[in-house]
This record gives sequence, C-alpha cells and structure tokens, in this order.
Amino acid sequence: MGDIAFLLIIFFLVCSEVSKDKANVRVTLPESEKVEKMEATVVARIAVSEDGEIYFDGVRVDGAKDVEWGVRALLTNTVTDDQRHVQFKCDANLPKETFEPVLKAIAEAGGIIEAVGEKTN
Amino acid sequence: MFKKRKQGRTKKHRKGDIPTGSFSDIAFLLIIYFLVATTLVKVKSITADLPAGEKSNQTQSEKTPVIRLSTNGIRFNDKDVDVELLNERLAALELPEKEESKRTIMLESEKGTPYDLYFQAFAAISSNGGLVALVEEE
Repeated sequence: MGDIAFLLIIFFLVCSEVSKDKANVRVTLPESEKVEKMEATVVARIAVSEDGEIYFDGVRVDGAKDVEWGVRALLTNTVTDDQRHVQFKCDANLPKETFEPVLKAIAEAGGIIEAVGEKTN
Repeated sequence: MFKKRKQGRTKKHRKGDIPTGSFSDIAFLLIIYFLVATTLVKVKSITADLPAGEKSNQTQSEKTPVIRLSTNGIRFNDKDVDVELLNERLAALELPEKEESKRTIMLESEKGTPYDLYFQAFAAISSNGGLVALVEEE
C-alpha cells in the first residue's frame, strides 16, 4: 500500500506543472475591482516586462510582429471562440507606445485578450 | 577478578525496527495535498475581444460611445469621468441587451497613457458587456 502511494506521489511530482509562467518576467500588475478568476484555457501567454521587453510563452521576442505571427500560427486550426484566448500580462506603468502594438497584434491575429490584473482590496 | 566481572555481564540486544505502519497514511495525505494544490492555480483577468481590421467610417455610427484616455485621466463622450462614474455611464447603456454591433466602445488614448489606465477602461468596458475598439492615430 505504502509503495503504491509513494509511486503515485512520484508520478504527481514529475507530471504536475504548478505554473506555466516559465519566464521570470518582472511585472507590476494593474489593479481593478472588476477582475475575475480566469476560467478559459489560453493558447498563448504574452508578457511585457517593466523594461518593455516582450515575451511569448516565456521566450523573448523582438517585436509585436512576432507576437502576431505566433498567435496567428497557434490559431490556424481553432474552431470555437473558447480556443482563441490569449493571456496578456503587462506592467502597469508602461506607456501606450510600448504595449498597444502588442495588443493590436493579438487582435489582428484573432486572439481574445485576457488581460491579467490584481483585484483591488 | 576483572575477568570474572566481564563474564558475568549479560548483553541486552535491543530490537531497532522503525514503525512503518503510518507511512501509507502520510503518503496518501501528500497525494491529496498535490491533487488539491496543482489544480488551484488560476490567474485573475478581464476579457477583451478586440475587433481586427481597418477603421471604417461606414460601420461606425456617430453615436458610438468614445472613451479617451490621457495622462490626466479619463473622458467619456468628451466629459471628464473617474473610474466609478465611467462604470455607471457604461452600465446605463445596458450593453448586454444590445446586438453585438452596437456594443462597441471606442477607446482612444494619448501618447504616454499608462497601461494601468488602459486596464481600468478595459475592465469597465468588459464588465459592462461592451466590446473594445482601439482607435489608431492618423
């Protein structure tokens, strides 16, 4: 019994993925009363760090165009709206010039933006 | 005399078995912990479905609500508002009851507008059933 239990523990330890946010992107998230727990499954995770660098699924990319192509490629075989959700994480203090091209790139590629934020206390 | 004393002493052998009966209980508690902990990771967010494509004057009615963001604050249909008032104004539009094409809210912003303000506007529009349309600079 104990052996089986320990095998199961090892299985969960190996197979489980606590968080897919592999990149150590430093971001101060914006706050709002309206944020809700995300129920949708996201196809990609886009992050813009506090120094303006763009990350696509944890990998640094050169610009918004790379994001558009990446999201477009992921969404080529999607059928329903549920499969179009793209997580967007951005530093609260970044100016429009830095993050807006990324938002537009996601929209152009057909993604539904899931903007990540903190709930106001 | 010394030898005699040594021979007379009887050695006590202790049995050093570790009790393992509770191991399976601990193991199953750990399994339950992992089962619960691995499913709890969920990110909080707001949803914004931005329509793609070029701006078309034909499809945009003059009455489409416009939110203008700047470093000074938020303007809704050319009137200064704060986040609470913006929520009230958007709620008054009763967007969820309208058809999709009439749920669009135009979002304009000046250079240097911080993402924080954008997020507030996104959250207000999204929570009131609106669709965000980003306005590009000419």
